[in-house]
Amino acid sequence: MAGASAADIRGILSLPENAAPGPSQMRKPPTKKPEGIPRELYALIGPSAPTMIAQPAKPRFKQKPNLGGGGSVRWEERPFKNPARTDGLVLKHWVKASVDPNEDYPFVKYNVKGPIYNYTSEEYVRLLEDSSWTKEETDYLFSLVKEFDSRFYVVSDRYDFPGGRPRSMEWHCQDLKDRYYSVCRKLVRSRPWSGDDASKAQLLSSLQFDKDREVTRKKYLDSLENRTPEETAEEEALYIELKRLEQTERRFKLEREELLRTLLGVESGLPGLPFEEEGPLGDPRKRKRIMEHDSATPPSASTPIQPRRVLPQMPQQSASSAQYDQLHCIFRPDPRMIVPSKSAHNIAYLRSGKMPYPKQSVAAKVTQVLTELDVQQTRLVMPTRENLLAYESLIEAATQLVEAKKVSDRLDQDIRVAKQRLGLRESAGETQERGEGSTQETVPMEQDEEDGGGQDGQRAGSVASSRSVKSRRTSQRRSLSVSSVDTMGAGRAQKRQKLS
Amino acid sequence: MTSHERVRVKGIQIHRPVIYGNTAVLLTPEQRKLLTSPDHTHRWTVAVRSAASSDKSDQVGGADDITHFIKRVSFKLHETYPNPLRNVEKAPFEVTETGWGEFEIQIKITFVQEAGERTITLYHHLKLHPWTATGPDLVEAPPPDEAAKAGPVHSWQYDEVVFTDPYQNFLNTLTLHPPTSLPRTRRKPVPFHLSNNTLTALEASKGGTPEFNKEMEMEERARLERARQQVLAEREKILASNAKKERELEQLKKDLGD
Repeated sequence: MAGASAADIRGILSLPENAAPGPSQMRKPPTKKPEGIPRELYALIGPSAPTMIAQPAKPRFKQKPNLGGGGSVRWEERPFKNPARTDGLVLKHWVKASVDPNEDYPFVKYNVKGPIYNYTSEEYVRLLEDSSWTKEETDYLFSLVKEFDSRFYVVSDRYDFPGGRPRSMEWHCQDLKDRYYSVCRKLVRSRPWSGDDASKAQLLSSLQFDKDREVTRKKYLDSLENRTPEETAEEEALYIELKRLEQTERRFKLEREELLRTLLGVESGLPGLPFEEEGPLGDPRKRKRIMEHDSATPPSASTPIQPRRVLPQMPQQSASSAQYDQLHCIFRPDPRMIVPSKSAHNIAYLRSGKMPYPKQSVAAKVTQVLTELDVQQTRLVMPTRENLLAYESLIEAATQLVEAKKVSDRLDQDIRVAKQRLGLRESAGETQERGEGSTQETVPMEQDEEDGGGQDGQRAGSVASSRSVKSRRTSQRRSLSVSSVDTMGAGRAQKRQKLS
Repeated sequence: MTSHERVRVKGIQIHRPVIYGNTAVLLTPEQRKLLTSPDHTHRWTVAVRSAASSDKSDQVGGADDITHFIKRVSFKLHETYPNPLRNVEKAPFEVTETGWGEFEIQIKITFVQEAGERTITLYHHLKLHPWTATGPDLVEAPPPDEAAKAGPVHSWQYDEVVFTDPYQNFLNTLTLHPPTSLPRTRRKPVPFHLSNNTLTALEASKGGTPEFNKEMEMEERARLERARQQVLAEREKILASNAKKERELEQLKKDLGD
C-alpha cells in the first residue's frame, strides 16, 4: 500500500495549505528530510515536524575556557626570605609578575612545630622517674625529638646516647615513643590546665601510646609481609575453595528446598531445611551407636557400611542408653518396621490420635464385639505406646473372631440349604409336616443375612450372644443418660476427619 | 543457630506425657451472688499440663514446666462467652471461668518455633456434673446437695505428644527437661475415665484430687489383654464348631451325591 503523503492528509482534512494539490507537490523537490526521521514518517508529518521530534541540530559545546590566551604571563625571578630559617639566607624563585613583591613566603604556614614539652629537675624527680631511664638519657631523647620534630624513625636512627643501655634494635623506636609520650602525658596531667576538660582529654588521647599493642601490630604486619609467594598462593587457593564450597552448598540447599516444596508442599516440614547426608556420617549419635555396636560384635558381623538394600542389624541397646531413652521418653523404632512415607517428615501428633481402626468391611461387627466386652473404641485411659499395641492386637483378634463368625454363618446357611435339598429329595416319601418345616425355614434364613448374625438364634450357646443382650440394655441406658459419651464420640469423629 | 543444629535426628521418636481436661467446683449460693451472671452454677478450669502431679500443689498434673516445647495453647470456649477464643502464651496453660453448662472445648497446642512442628488440635468435653458409672453397674447421678459434698469434679485425659525425627537443637532442649515419671503405684485417687467406667473405678476416683499413675496403664493393658483372651477363646470355640459344621456339610453333600 502506498503511503499517503502529507499533502493528501491535508487535503482530506481540508486544511489550508500554501502548496498546490498533491500531484504538483510531488513533482516539486521536497524540502530536505532531516536526519534521524524515517522516510515514511517524514512523508506523513511533512516538513512541519512537531517539536517532539528531536531536532538534530549542531551540538553546542561548552565555550572554551579562556586560558589567558590573549597576552602571555610574565614571570620574574625574585629573591625571598624563608622565615623558618634563622640564618637569614636569601634564595631566589620564579613568581608571576602580578604577585605583590612584599607578600610573605606562602609556605610559611606549613612550618608548624608541635608543642615542645620541657620539664624541670624537680618535676622529673617528682613525676618522671623510671627505672630504665636516667634523667640524662631522657633529656637526650627530648632534645633529639625536638631537633627532629617528633620524627621518631629519624630519632631512633640518630639515637646514640653514650652509656645508654643496649636496647633491642627491633623495638627501639617503640621504646623511645613510649618513654616520650608517657613523659608528656604525665606533664600534661600534673600541670595546671587553662582550657576545659574536653580539650585536655583530647590532648591526652593524642599523646596516647600503647607500646604492647603497637608491637603486636608491627609483628602482625611483619608476618603478613614476610609470607612466601607459596603461602600467599595457598591462602588464596583456600579462600577460593571456601567460597566455592559455600556456593555449592547454598545451591544444593536451594535446589533441595525447591524440590521438596514442589513435591510435598506443606508436608515437607520447611522451613529450617535439614541439610544432611545419608550414611554413617549423618548423625553423630547414630555413628557412635554403630561404633559401639562394632566393638560389641566381631567385625565381620557388623554392618555399619552396607549396600542400602540390605537391612542393617538392629544395634543392641546398652542398658544405660535404654535407661536414658526411658528417662527422656525416647523410642527408636526398628528401621525395618518403618514404612517409607511420602512426606519428608512425620509431623508431631498426639498418641491418642493414632488409635488403630478395624478394617472397613468388618468395622461394624468389630465395634459390636468390643462393645460387648465393654471396651471403648474412642479413647483409652492411658494411650501409651504399649497400650495402643495391646489395643491393636485386641482389634486384630476381634477381626479374626468376626471373620470366623462369618465363616460359621456361611456354613450354617450351606448346611441348611443342603438339608433342605435333602429334605425335598426325600419329601416324596415323607410326611407333609417335614415339607412345611423346610419351606418355613427359607424365609428367616434370608433375614439372617441382612441382620448380620447379631441376633442369630444359631449362636445361642455363645458368650457373645449372651452378652449382646446386656449390650443392648446398656446402649439403651446410654441414650437416656447424660450425653457425654456420645458427644465425646462425635468430637473424636471430627478429629479423625482432621487427622486423615 | 548453626545449620548443624537444624539437622533432624533420624530414627527416633520422643514423646512428652501431657494431660488435658478440666476441674469444676459447684458454687455456693453466696458465691453465685457475687458473680456478674448469677445463673452460673460452677467455676471450672480447663488446662493443658504435664501428666505427673506435683507433691507441692493440690492439682491434677502440672509437676513439670512444659513451656520448653509448648509456645501457646488456645482454648475455644462456647460462643456465649465473651471473647471465646482464649490464647494462653505462658504457663500455666489454663483458663478459669464460671458457667452452667457442659460443652465441647477445642484446644490448639502450638509448639515452640525450634520444634518446627504444626499446631495440633484436640477436643475436651467440659465436665461439670459428677461422674456416674455408665457401664454395667449403673449409678444414678447424685442430687445437687450430695454432689456439692463430693467436692470438685475432675475430667482429665492422659495423652502423649510424639515428635518424630526432631531437630537436633529441639532434641537437646527436650532432653534438658526430662519429664517427671508417673508414680509407680496409686497414692491418691485415680482419675475417672469413661473408657473404664465401672463402679470400682468410680469409687477409686473419689476422695480428693486424683493423680495419674503407672498402675492405671498396667490396669488398662491387663483389661485389654483380658478382652483379647476372651475374644480368642470365643474364636477358638467358633473355629471348632466350624470344623464340625464343615464335616456335617461334607456328609450332607455326600448324601446329596454332589
